[in-house]
Amino acid sequence: MSGLTAARDLAKRPVVTLDGEAVAQIKDTVFDGPAGRIVGFTLSGRGLLAGPLRQSLPWEAVHSLGGHAVMIRGREALAEPAAVVARKEAAGGHVLGARVLTDAGAEIGTVLDIVVEGGTSGRVVGFRIAASESLVPGSRRRRRKVYVPRGETLAVSGTALVVPAGVTHFVADDLPSFVGQIDAFRARAGREGAGPAPGARAVPVEADAPKEGPTP
Amino acid sequence: MMLFSQVQGLPVVTLGEAAELGVLASLTVEVASGHISHLRVSRPRGHQDTTIAWNALHALGPDAALVRSAAALDAEPATTPVHHEMLRQRILTEAGDERGTVKDVSFDPETGRIGTVHTALGELPADSLLGLGEYALVVRAEPATRHAP
Repeated sequence: MSGLTAARDLAKRPVVTLDGEAVAQIKDTVFDGPAGRIVGFTLSGRGLLAGPLRQSLPWEAVHSLGGHAVMIRGREALAEPAAVVARKEAAGGHVLGARVLTDAGAEIGTVLDIVVEGGTSGRVVGFRIAASESLVPGSRRRRRKVYVPRGETLAVSGTALVVPAGVTHFVADDLPSFVGQIDAFRARAGREGAGPAPGARAVPVEADAPKEGPTP
Repeated sequence: MMLFSQVQGLPVVTLGEAAELGVLASLTVEVASGHISHLRVSRPRGHQDTTIAWNALHALGPDAALVRSAAALDAEPATTPVHHEMLRQRILTEAGDERGTVKDVSFDPETGRIGTVHTALGELPADSLLGLGEYALVVRAEPATRHAP
């Protein structure tokens, strides 16, 4: 599996052709929420004075999403803005700020950011959430930000999304440890379906290391 | 094999007249063919810098680059390819990950064929190069070793 990236960190990442030319940079990432994948990117020009570009980058035209650049074959991969933006509206929109509920009915937090897999898949693998107290017990003032896998079943509306209750066993504090949690989550989902399984390979939240410091 | 860094700054001299045209500023690489296509020559004050096609070169030695004649300069067509400097260029894999910068490039002084690209993270064979542009030198992604179990 390629590295994981938070969608917010994709902003300003250069779009580079296989000929080594930087033709644009990422402005926004557009998601299909229910499908759990990237639809494409809106673009801006490169440089200090550059504004939004009248072009977009559909996911099908991406050669690879890397840690330092989004690679495309050539300039001709860029499309009309409508190619991406129209599908954003069709997909029904915003996930950021949405409440996260488990299918057992517990609210575990609100979405701060979306975590995607690098490479060619364009898959959403999880969310960075502001954890509610039921998920991460502790002082109210130390509002924790954690990563949760999205699970294979996912329901999204404009204001909330529902994830399998099992994902709460695979919470991580930072992206590097989230990679391991995703692998463990998938391994278990593959073995027993999405239902929670006591014991097994579940990792309690408290055992995660290293801890993220208190965030204001 | 010679290195780009060894030939930079060599005097460029004509074979017939032994006239010094200038100094070798850089080499233009055509990534698709894996060869050096042109030499860029910076000329003394009052003259415009110029490019010389690789096949107008008589010899590239340790102390000078010899071109067939000064006519090679005038005969140079206007179709000179855009030059992208290879030395110090950022390296990106086709997967979109940075892989250091180009420290040096070895080449065969007889044929102009590129040998290996030296980077801070090791050497890259010429056949791993995909493209060279203003922003980066793009290379093939290596077999995944980073996330091996």
